[in-house]
Amino acid sequence: MQWAKKLVWAAVAILGALALGMIAAARGEPLNAVWLVAAAACIYALGYRFYSRWIAYRVLELNDRRATPAERLDDGRDFVPTNKWVVFGHHFAAIAGPGPLVGPILAAQFGYLPGTLWIVLGGVLGGCVQDFVTLFCSMRRNGKSLGQMAKDEISPLGGWTALFAVLAIMIILIAVVGLVVVNALKSSPWGLFTIAATIPIALLLGIYLRYLRPSRVMEASLAGFALVMAAVIGGKYVAESAWLARYFTYGGVALAWMIILYGFAASVLPVWLLLAPRDYLSTFIKLGTILALALGILAAHPPMLLPPLTRFTDGTGPIFAGKVFPFCFITIACGAVSGFHALIASGTTPKLISKESQARMIGYGGMMMESFVGVMAMVAATVLQPGVYFAMNSPAGIVGAMPAQAAATISGWGFPVTARDMSELASRVGEITLFNRTGGAPSLAVGMAHIFGGTLGMRGLEAIWYHFAIMFEALFILTVLDAGTRVGRFMLQDLLGHFSRPLGRTGWYPGVVATSAVVCAAWGYFLLQGVADPLGGINSLWPLFGIANQLLAAIALCVATTILIKMGKQRYAWVTLAPLGWLVAVTMTASWQKIASADPRLGFLAHARLLSGQLAAGAVPASGVAATQRLVFNDRLDTAVTAVFAAFVVVILVESARHWWLYSFGRSQPVLNEAPMELSRLPG
Amino acid sequence: MLPKLVRAVWRYLREVSGENDYARYCRGIRQQGTRPMTPQQFYVSELQRKYSRISRCC
Repeated sequence: MQWAKKLVWAAVAILGALALGMIAAARGEPLNAVWLVAAAACIYALGYRFYSRWIAYRVLELNDRRATPAERLDDGRDFVPTNKWVVFGHHFAAIAGPGPLVGPILAAQFGYLPGTLWIVLGGVLGGCVQDFVTLFCSMRRNGKSLGQMAKDEISPLGGWTALFAVLAIMIILIAVVGLVVVNALKSSPWGLFTIAATIPIALLLGIYLRYLRPSRVMEASLAGFALVMAAVIGGKYVAESAWLARYFTYGGVALAWMIILYGFAASVLPVWLLLAPRDYLSTFIKLGTILALALGILAAHPPMLLPPLTRFTDGTGPIFAGKVFPFCFITIACGAVSGFHALIASGTTPKLISKESQARMIGYGGMMMESFVGVMAMVAATVLQPGVYFAMNSPAGIVGAMPAQAAATISGWGFPVTARDMSELASRVGEITLFNRTGGAPSLAVGMAHIFGGTLGMRGLEAIWYHFAIMFEALFILTVLDAGTRVGRFMLQDLLGHFSRPLGRTGWYPGVVATSAVVCAAWGYFLLQGVADPLGGINSLWPLFGIANQLLAAIALCVATTILIKMGKQRYAWVTLAPLGWLVAVTMTASWQKIASADPRLGFLAHARLLSGQLAAGAVPASGVAATQRLVFNDRLDTAVTAVFAAFVVVILVESARHWWLYSFGRSQPVLNEAPMELSRLPG
Repeated sequence: MLPKLVRAVWRYLREVSGENDYARYCRGIRQQGTRPMTPQQFYVSELQRKYSRISRCC
């Protein structure tokens, strides 16, 4: 039996090596996507079987005889010993957001290789470890949050840094995902109609679940799914009707305002009316579509047309500026290492786990699944013709607003495409144009439509598949947006409650409205800034989001390393120190370049100087002076935000390193704030 | 084989989506000897609890 197992794992290792060899040996000719998927799957399997097991039993010493908080504090609501697969489902649904779908699409401008390697290796050695160890730490501390652990295990300063970092990341996250939705729905009556229809559908479901059949989530979601599919199909007729299409065709600024109003409404309305039913709907559609995409890739096994490396590794890429190091690792945060996951791993999940050993499958395994979603998104990007990919993702400010001009620029880079090709593709998927559709969502949708169409042999339905994919992306992005706004409001109320008691009361309606408005104004400002940016917005906002997310990961890994050292596991501290070192190098380099690079496309200050120079020289027409002044202000604001993020990283790192030094050299006695050991009475 | 699998998936989805939470809550409350909330009250109170903390990621 032992030999049989060893043979199976040897076969997995050989298959993985073979797949990697095929990827490495591919020269010029398109490689089948199955090799990429096989290489990733084998690395995940080996990482889970060997590395996570070693961490679980050698480093963390998980002990199933020790009662978890779910067992000790079982109250039937917050703390409930729950089946491990159910906890896995909850955890995966919570961590799987739009990041691993959008990031890889954007990072594909470097070719598929750097992004895929980062997703897989970053996941196995960094992201999965972070989620797993954070979950373990929280589980041993009665389910404490990351902020509380930073405060208890590092210092109050560490705790405050974590609190502000969470608020900051929330604001930037909502703005950037909002921008992705705006860019996906711009001048797209079909897409906008479908998404608009989900609001009354969600309201209907909300009333059904609240008054008619409370908690009957499955039947309500199935009915909701049928209605959403009807909206996807109905959108075609809206787009084809000149009269109706008028009401669903808007530019970026109008859409941004609609999204801001939506976020505000979702935050102030009762949670059961809009937010929760939308979340149910989007969660089931999200999980179903991810599964369908995985099966679709295996069935269609499409060739990857994008090269493994493009010329844009030198930092001249049209989608976002910056070299492959550090920007590939900033662009793909979720999918490889996402600090945000540490908030989930120290939130609900640790309060549901019934046996310590399950933290391995839920923490490490859950992140591995998310990482695999990132690989699938990368595949979806690579099945597009490179010229089409760059035409869709390059902003008008770089390639030109006119189709012929944009096509000529992109062809000049060595990725042939014509205005006619793009026009035909747009017509096949039911869009007016696919030029300058930055943000990643439209190209993911075209890739998914290609895969689904190829799998099911229904190429004629490409437009339906495309709009289904747009609906799927926009639906759960809006769920992140409305849930995030609401949580941001709660955090702000919590903070303001120290100064004004009524403002801290979540039931006092004027306070709810005021704090919701403040949160919406904060992310709304960045969203409008992105929409107005002639370079597309993604160029400035996505790196900010990546830096913020990696900052949170650095905090989580600092907390984890501190706890390992306090546990007397100094010799294994490299498990969390290695990804931490890498993230600090990436975050600090990216922050420095975004602030101080002399390239105006990359450096915020250089861009501000360029625009100020144009204003001073009178090179800006009078009608554009106010807008240019706003751009200068935005550049300076982005500089300040980036500097604050970098300062947070330095603060938490210095605070942690000081403690590591004190503990390691016996200058201070470490206090491990673990809950006391109690024997478990739950059956194994 | 297939119907069994479909039933298992359906049961799993019901559990994950929280459809069984009310029954579990009532069992716990009965043991404590206090009066349980109605299904409607429980549903709203669960949602308020869930959406007042970070429940969705990027």
